[in-house]
Amino acid sequence: MKVKVTGIPVNDQEKALKFYTDILGFVKKVDVPISADSRWLTVVSKEEQDGTEVLLEPSPNHFEPSKTYQKALFDAGIPYTQFSVDSVQKEYERLIDLGVEFSVVPTAMGTVKIAVFNDTCGNNIQIIEML
Amino acid sequence: MTFYECEIERIKNLIYRNQRQLDIVIGMRNYIDNNYHAGLSLNFLSGIKFISKYHLLRLFKRYYGQTPKQYLLDRQIENSKEYLKKGMSIAETCYFVEFESPCSFSTLFKSKTGLTPTEFKKEQLLQSRFDFHLRTLGN
Repeated sequence: MKVKVTGIPVNDQEKALKFYTDILGFVKKVDVPISADSRWLTVVSKEEQDGTEVLLEPSPNHFEPSKTYQKALFDAGIPYTQFSVDSVQKEYERLIDLGVEFSVVPTAMGTVKIAVFNDTCGNNIQIIEML
Repeated sequence: MTFYECEIERIKNLIYRNQRQLDIVIGMRNYIDNNYHAGLSLNFLSGIKFISKYHLLRLFKRYYGQTPKQYLLDRQIENSKEYLKKGMSIAETCYFVEFESPCSFSTLFKSKTGLTPTEFKKEQLLQSRFDFHLRTLGN
């Protein structure tokens, strides 16, 4: 078995695609229409385009428990997932300049440094740097 | 303060209280990252920090979840992938990441990536041709 795809629930796929590509710098990999308002839509890291695909799934719009779970995590400030970066501080400054909102500013925590931002599609996302 | 921020503080106070130990393992990891190709040994690493190699081994595993040797091997494989992507031969790559022999390198590479270095190189070549083709179509 291999890990090829991991999902993030988003409440607006088009808005999510713009955020994950234009702001975070990911690249669109697969875009297949499924129904009138849903696509199988994945993005990958620009630096690792053969790496794990992130599926931007519209589950909160179609499955109430998904919406409830996403909101509960968001309200508690808990990240839905995390991405690795070389420097949390530099990425934080780059994203702040682009208007991204952070709930946790760069914080050293033992052998890692973390920060948490709002992906504007219903999730907190953590960036992490190994120290 | 959110629940998550409270948890960050709680965990920091629970398992990351000993700053001296953290400084030792973080310094060790940085040393491995910057000198990963210099034939590092646990004896050598422990000598730099003036602590016993067994203590260093325990600390590193406790804070990073891997032994220094496991971490070093992962770094070597990651770096060898970059060399292979750039078109370097397997023998050259093996030399640059300081593996004892091409045979042990190939065996470890396969176990870590699922591909032999030769298969990995072929896959990268196919991917770059495919990307070039897509770019050509885009123009």
